[in-house]
Amino acid sequence: MPTASPVASRLAELVGGEHVLTASTVCAEYAVDGLEPQAVLRPGSSSEIADILRFAAAERLAVIPMGGRTKLGIGMPPKRFDLALDLSRMTRVLAYDPRDLTCGVEAGVRFADLDRLLAAERQFLPLAPAFGTRATLGGIIAAGADSPLRHAYGSTRDFLLGVEFITGDAVSSKSGGRVVKNVTGYDLHKLLIGSLGTLAVITRLNFRTFPLPPQQATFVATFASADAALAWCAALAKSPLEPKIVEVLDPGTARLFAPAATRVPRDGWSVVVTAAGHRAVVDRHARDLAHLASEKHAAEFVALNDDDGDAEQHALLQCISEFPNMVLETCPGAAIFRIAVLPSAMPELLRRVGAVTERDISQRPAPGDKTPEHKTSERQTLERQTLHRATLVRVSGVVYIALLLTTNNANEHMNGVPSQSTSTSATEKVGDLELVQACCGLIDLGIAMGLRPVIERCPLPVKRALAARGRSIWPPSGAEHVLAERLKRVFDPQGILAPGRFHGGI
Amino acid sequence: MDAKLVRELEHVLGPAGVLAGTEDLLLYEYDGSIDEGRPDCIVFPRSTNDVVEIVKLANRFDVPIVGRGSGTGLSGGAIARRGGIIVTFSRMKRILAIDIVNQRAVVEPGVVNLDLTRAVEKDGLYFAPDPSSQKACTIGGNVSENSGGPHTLAYGVPSSHVTGLELVLPDAQVLRVGSSTIETPGYDLTGLVVGSEGTFALVTEITVKLSRLPEQVGTLLGVFDTVDDATDTVADITSRGITPAACEMLDAWTLRAVEAFVHAGFPLDSAAVLLIEVEGVREAAEAQSAEIADVCRLHHAREVRRAADGRERELLWKGRKNAFGAIGRLSPSYYVMDGVIPRTKLTVTLRHIAEVGKRHGLQIGNVFHAGDGNLHPLILFDQRDPVQLASAIAAAGEIMKFCVEMGGALTGEHGIGMEKNELMPLMFSDADLDLMRRVRAAFNPTGRLNPDKVLPLGKGCGETRVNVAQVPVGGIT
Repeated sequence: MPTASPVASRLAELVGGEHVLTASTVCAEYAVDGLEPQAVLRPGSSSEIADILRFAAAERLAVIPMGGRTKLGIGMPPKRFDLALDLSRMTRVLAYDPRDLTCGVEAGVRFADLDRLLAAERQFLPLAPAFGTRATLGGIIAAGADSPLRHAYGSTRDFLLGVEFITGDAVSSKSGGRVVKNVTGYDLHKLLIGSLGTLAVITRLNFRTFPLPPQQATFVATFASADAALAWCAALAKSPLEPKIVEVLDPGTARLFAPAATRVPRDGWSVVVTAAGHRAVVDRHARDLAHLASEKHAAEFVALNDDDGDAEQHALLQCISEFPNMVLETCPGAAIFRIAVLPSAMPELLRRVGAVTERDISQRPAPGDKTPEHKTSERQTLERQTLHRATLVRVSGVVYIALLLTTNNANEHMNGVPSQSTSTSATEKVGDLELVQACCGLIDLGIAMGLRPVIERCPLPVKRALAARGRSIWPPSGAEHVLAERLKRVFDPQGILAPGRFHGGI
Repeated sequence: MDAKLVRELEHVLGPAGVLAGTEDLLLYEYDGSIDEGRPDCIVFPRSTNDVVEIVKLANRFDVPIVGRGSGTGLSGGAIARRGGIIVTFSRMKRILAIDIVNQRAVVEPGVVNLDLTRAVEKDGLYFAPDPSSQKACTIGGNVSENSGGPHTLAYGVPSSHVTGLELVLPDAQVLRVGSSTIETPGYDLTGLVVGSEGTFALVTEITVKLSRLPEQVGTLLGVFDTVDDATDTVADITSRGITPAACEMLDAWTLRAVEAFVHAGFPLDSAAVLLIEVEGVREAAEAQSAEIADVCRLHHAREVRRAADGRERELLWKGRKNAFGAIGRLSPSYYVMDGVIPRTKLTVTLRHIAEVGKRHGLQIGNVFHAGDGNLHPLILFDQRDPVQLASAIAAAGEIMKFCVEMGGALTGEHGIGMEKNELMPLMFSDADLDLMRRVRAAFNPTGRLNPDKVLPLGKGCGETRVNVAQVPVGGIT
């Protein structure tokens, strides 16, 4: 592509003209929180990335690395953004030794592609990331993505063996290694998990892979209340069973999943449990879980362990993995909280969340006040909007709470038809204001409970409104923030990497 | 040592909290290795506040500070290489909180590893990291070195089991990183500090995850007539996707030494034994035991024995965990090495180790965590004989280099410390090491905390510079 600006032509020397994109339509696709880059760069190698960062550091150009661009909405709006560093050409699998159960990939390798490669050897990476078809491994790590498999396999921190990366001052570096057990040197790569590209550009990742279990089945136990569902989970945790996945869906989430996961009851709180291993292990889970469900008076217990159940099982687990994606597809203006919480505090959190969010966002019309549709004013449109909640509890310690603003019409239960935010800007503003209030309420609730709630997703106006109130999508920093700031200066002395997106304004 | 500093330390900690007599200092100049460094005094804080006051005094008197648990470390991490104050955490040994429901405990760093498990096992829980020294080593030491044990294979190194820390930084500031929850927003400072070998901060409180005891444990002993058959079995178990909780190997020489000491029941005429453990729900343990027994037989195991009960299991593990002690009875000195290789390279690496031993005329035993490729070659020698000492050091250097060439790592659990800091360039470039140095400086800018550990001492070395003569020797004399 012909490049016009002097910056673009110098970048073209570094990565080749065809990999420097400056057309405004292209740059718009790479916007982060409404901020468009001057240029999109598609480097093909680590050394090109180092060259770009050297140039950017010298010119004080702000760079945001990205892969599948599925999680750019995470974080606060960047303070500056000049160059989008698109790693989607970095797609080589550099090493895969099935007999050692380890692999090494470039950062731009898509999870789905690696998953296929590993599946051919009956192995997998215990991540079931959202946006699974598009997400890249670099992005999954940089965004600190979470997955239901965490229950049994731990988080990425536990199976990411080593990382090669390039710091903000263009130094190619690495930590960790390729072997499954290694305590050599400082674990710098752990800092990169969830760092949103603020410390370094990840270029290569080494993982431990795991054998695919021969059998797998999923069970759904449904209860009338969150308390009953969580009490059942507590009983399960005390049992000798070793499930791979334990997640709780509230009625809002069950309805969100309903079109795909047809056998999950839409009312009530459903605990989804996946067991895997040898046939005897899965059968044992089936028996014991059924027993435990009847003992604790589950309203319903569904076993997805027959041939018919397999498709349903797959669909349900897919929904759970894709929870943020499904929320945002249903309601692009949704806010999604990610709150790490100890299992014993979950019932209280869920009880108190109700008080904050289970309300119409503005005064309901009086009963019988049927405004004809053609006369509906913006104000009245608003009155018909409702804040819904969809909750996904990762029983091992994270609660996701999505706040969805939906119009209060036939799809009140959100069963299927996406109810997009209405398009007029006035409506958006007032609607977002209500969402902001709900978000603030939830933040305050979390903090009052000693938690550190993060709003992982929310529309830009909500981020701005939070900032205007001296708040953030991030919880307040503690005294340890001084260390984070020092580390940021070590990795990125010029402050060119994704400035402002991270916790504490980093 | 400045007598005034000792007086001031005594003022803070009481006379019983400070040791500065020559005979006391001699006792603290080594750890589980025989690296040596004479401290100037030893202090025994009882609280975080004591630690803060100690750090302030160290700053005022400009002396180094080195943290220490039980001194069982194998890389010289707790040795005062440049003198100064050794802060021993043996009096900070309270279990501050146990949360059975959430499977967490909050401990002071001086809590002995096995004591935590003993405190929670009645509730069906345990602390998973299990170094061989777990009856003596402290959780603070485990956190510092990120040192696991046999069950790392299934449950990971300590950093997978630590969610939060209280730190005293070298400027005497007290900070908390992480929390009790499974994740904390912001950079993973907890993950960074665990395994920083006492060079970033003094850890004064640790929040750990507790694991649930499995319903069933199956322990198998595979007996082989050749080392190759044993290593091939390990590689085959791994590649078939069988996931034992632990998979340990002892070669002929080592198992005979152990048998003479522990009487664990290892067959004296075999070439190697594998000690393999499977855990989980009953059905999983049984299915995996059967699979493993099949794989052992496929690779010509002479015998596959299953521990019939807890007593037999204990005995087999006693043999494994006392292996180093058993060898200490046979040789004036030995060097316990620690290296990691990909699991597929076990056979070729063990052959190489045997060849190195033969070439140098040294007996090298092998007792190690085969399942995760974590080798512990034991080089026997007599430290009083300078020729043998030089040969041992040269052999160790060659073996480490081979591990790295195989795609492996310098240490799987003992840490780098002062044993291998000069070997770091085998794995890391100058740029890598410089970044690590700057990250350390973000915590420990003056280098007062545990000086001259982990990273090579020379700055900006141009090329891999492995002076094997500088590799210190570990062992029992």
